[in-house]
Amino acid sequence: MISVKHLKKSFGDLEVLKDINVDIGQKEVVVVIGPSGSGKSTFLRCLNLIESITNGTVSIDGVELTDKKVDINKLRAEVGMVFQQFNLFPHKTVLENITLPIVTVKKESKQDAEKKAKDLLQKVGLLDKADAYPESLSGGQKQRVAIARALGMEPKVMLFDEPTSALDPEMVGEVLGVMKQLAEEGMTMVVVTHEMGFAKEVGDCVIFMDEGYVVEEKEPKQLFENPQHERTKAFLSKIL
Amino acid sequence: MDFRFDIIVEYFPFFMEGMGLTILMSVVGVLMGCILGFFIALGKMSPILIVRLPFIWYINFLRGTPLLVQLFLFHYAVLPTLLGSTTPVISVMVTLSLNSSAYVAEIFRAGLQSIDKGQAEAAHSLGMNKFQVMRHVLLPQAFKRSIPPLGNEFIVLLKDSSLGAMIAAQELLYWGRAASGQYLRVWEPYLMVALVYLVLTLSLTYLLNYLERRFDVK
Repeated sequence: MISVKHLKKSFGDLEVLKDINVDIGQKEVVVVIGPSGSGKSTFLRCLNLIESITNGTVSIDGVELTDKKVDINKLRAEVGMVFQQFNLFPHKTVLENITLPIVTVKKESKQDAEKKAKDLLQKVGLLDKADAYPESLSGGQKQRVAIARALGMEPKVMLFDEPTSALDPEMVGEVLGVMKQLAEEGMTMVVVTHEMGFAKEVGDCVIFMDEGYVVEEKEPKQLFENPQHERTKAFLSKIL
Repeated sequence: MDFRFDIIVEYFPFFMEGMGLTILMSVVGVLMGCILGFFIALGKMSPILIVRLPFIWYINFLRGTPLLVQLFLFHYAVLPTLLGSTTPVISVMVTLSLNSSAYVAEIFRAGLQSIDKGQAEAAHSLGMNKFQVMRHVLLPQAFKRSIPPLGNEFIVLLKDSSLGAMIAAQELLYWGRAASGQYLRVWEPYLMVALVYLVLTLSLTYLLNYLERRFDVK
């Protein structure tokens, strides 16, 4: 589904991703962990070209991202992304947040978009907030709307960039719950997170990144219980 | 000191006529200033220096030279050369439009750049193209934030239209000077002119406050 080969990314002189090679299969849930500054978020952002790729190749569902002929907007529509800071559109209602890309990008009618949006809100348990503005929602509710908005595009892959890091602790569960449900439905997911419980329970594979490299890539149980590399051990000993 | 109300009464119709022209020139200046200013703001935000440069200097010139000098330049030099001839009213409207476009451009640019980067990223991540991101996500938010400084600019522009009197555009101050010249009186005409300007700017302030509340969707 996703194939990353020799991916490199630099910001000026600073090389953030040094040589990333990862293969992610269909319906796989990959959890990316690592200390801050290790390049996890940058890696994720390269997967939908929110960050440009300096070197190497990334292909999603057979489409080469660095190919100049690729329609970036079409590709992005098929790769959903959820941000740490939610990034809901504050001037639109919850419903409009979800329908806007369906109408403008997928060119569906307003009625169809609204029906789809309401189904998605039902799914994330926020149908009663359809006409509210994002400002009036709690962090957990905002993030669930953001997930619904991304799902509205019917993506093949969902990317989560620390989706629970900006939340109060008691709201983390509701967001992880929605993500877990999504995983069970067979969505291909790449999740950057510090929620080790989620990684263990839902992840098919955990990638440990440090200083721009993938240090270790294993099934969650193996990685957490039997890390091979010193850096993985050091990181895990600090957070577990 | 006697106060000759008869002068005000006699000139009242002219003051009203002048006020009409003041409003007309200001409205044209504001509208054209906003339209031009929007495109100049986009130009000045171009990532390519060569594209950006003319817009930077357009703004530098119009903000860095006195409006009265610009008015003389356009009325006596630029417009006669370009159009063959001009009228005072046209010169004032052109000068006000261009001058305000520079200020409005900076207001729009500040508004657009104050929007969190995550907004554009989220919109792009949903597959929206640059135009759609601008149209549906950035502009509505930037416009809302621009309303207070735009209001300021409109009030300044309305008052600056009085410079038109210097090239005999028959706006409000023109008729004040005419009355003053005819009767050799200074208090009555200029107080009256000041009062009318005050009424205009206060009305505009109320209108802008109303708009600010209207657009403040919470």
